[in-house]
Amino acid sequence: MPTLTLKFKKDSAKIKEYRLERGQSLTLGRRESNDIVIENLAVSGHHAKIDWTGNGFLLTDLKSKNGTFVNDQLAISHWLKDGDVVTIGKHILEFKYAAGETQPQGEDTEAMGETMVMDTGKYRSMLAKNVSTMAPQGGQQEQLGVLSYLSGGEGEVDLTKKLTKIGKNASSDIVVSGLTVGQTAATVSKRPDGYYLSYVSGMSKPRVNGESVKESLQLKQFDVIEIGSAKMQLIFKS
Amino acid sequence: MIAVESAGLSDVGKKRKGNEDSLYLDDELGIYVVADGMGGHQAGEVASGLVVQTMQDYMNRIRSADAAEELVDIDQSLSKEANRLLSSIHLSNRVVYQMSNNKASYQGMGSTVAAVLFTSDTVISANVGDSPIYLIRGDEVTNLSVSHTVMAEQMALNPDADRQFGNRFAHMLTRAMGIDRTVRPDSCELVCFKGDHIVLASDGLTDKVGPEEIRDVVASNTPKDSCRKLVDMANERGGDDNITLVVLEVKKVQGKKSGIMEWISRLFK
Repeated sequence: MPTLTLKFKKDSAKIKEYRLERGQSLTLGRRESNDIVIENLAVSGHHAKIDWTGNGFLLTDLKSKNGTFVNDQLAISHWLKDGDVVTIGKHILEFKYAAGETQPQGEDTEAMGETMVMDTGKYRSMLAKNVSTMAPQGGQQEQLGVLSYLSGGEGEVDLTKKLTKIGKNASSDIVVSGLTVGQTAATVSKRPDGYYLSYVSGMSKPRVNGESVKESLQLKQFDVIEIGSAKMQLIFKS
Repeated sequence: MIAVESAGLSDVGKKRKGNEDSLYLDDELGIYVVADGMGGHQAGEVASGLVVQTMQDYMNRIRSADAAEELVDIDQSLSKEANRLLSSIHLSNRVVYQMSNNKASYQGMGSTVAAVLFTSDTVISANVGDSPIYLIRGDEVTNLSVSHTVMAEQMALNPDADRQFGNRFAHMLTRAMGIDRTVRPDSCELVCFKGDHIVLASDGLTDKVGPEEIRDVVASNTPKDSCRKLVDMANERGGDDNITLVVLEVKKVQGKKSGIMEWISRLFK
């Protein structure tokens, strides 16, 4: 079984040695609840973890404040290899397999033609290696649309719902007035590829940039929507 | 009220021995589901079957006892009906997850799910994995589903990702039913119109037949004939995987009359 040797700075004496068991996970951090406790303010409460994934030990940084480094490289996640030096704050952890022990390959190379589910940890590790310009943790930023009143109302309405209803009915998300406006006059759907405005009911149809919408239309930034008494503009916030 | 004509078909294809896909259609409840299972030794079949069966049971239970409705993980950004559909997905995820943990031969099994539910005036779609849900409106084909594959997620961040990763990851899912205790489906809700088509499919179809080809077939055939023709096309091109699809055609949308129209129609009654 491999070991992790905890030291304060590189050449100082070892503080403690931890054995890693296959099939087990370990957590590292300042709090007492961790398996490896490092009492130093540069270490986050829950700083990092090490998981056995069936084909190696994977170190994952738990969005720590000061980061986790492996061989002086910032790591979001990393397959631990023999001789790796993990730095957390001013403490270091040396990862070593026992002499003669079989060392697993970090990444398997099995055939991938079949549909399978990717291990999240492995996914991150692969991303860290392959995509340099990626946002940390692979977070995809969704753009939030906001309808801002130009007239017929004040302020703005966040389009957080999957379906935002606009109409005369008091239960609508955006209530508008007008004799020919439907109870639910139109809706705005949040779809994978953006926001869509659809006409629903009423004699007067909604208008986008002055054009009347008979069915459905994808909305673009700064489109102006007119329904009954309300005139609103779509703006994206990231 | 939305009237829908529906048809579904599942075919083993040319290469596989078993069919790991499942489907479920209920015109009365307006719910349509395609699930593509994975995991060896018939486990994929079990997983997709469980997904479909659990969703069916959940929806039937709601129908029979509307008052005793328990929604799991309510999302405030969704309507009540959408929460129902998502609850049924969350529940079936748990069922598959538990089953895969209880029996060694089922370990690691999973499934995708693509589902749509019609309400009185909208349609809600929800998906996990890479089984697509296409909306075909006129000449336009749009995806109501979000593909949870490594490739798709990378392409979203970096359009050149396909060159970096290659085919290895084309079928590697980042989310699936039954793999974790919880699952995060993607969903949307929209108004639909007469003449709209919605196609739910497993990748056995969409790897072989492109979205525009699907559009052309469904535009000129009844849902039932479209299913047959599309399955035949996928089989003629190799039929490497199981092929499953549901084709829906919106025949009628009757909105509630409101305002002055309601008043006028009352006048002429």
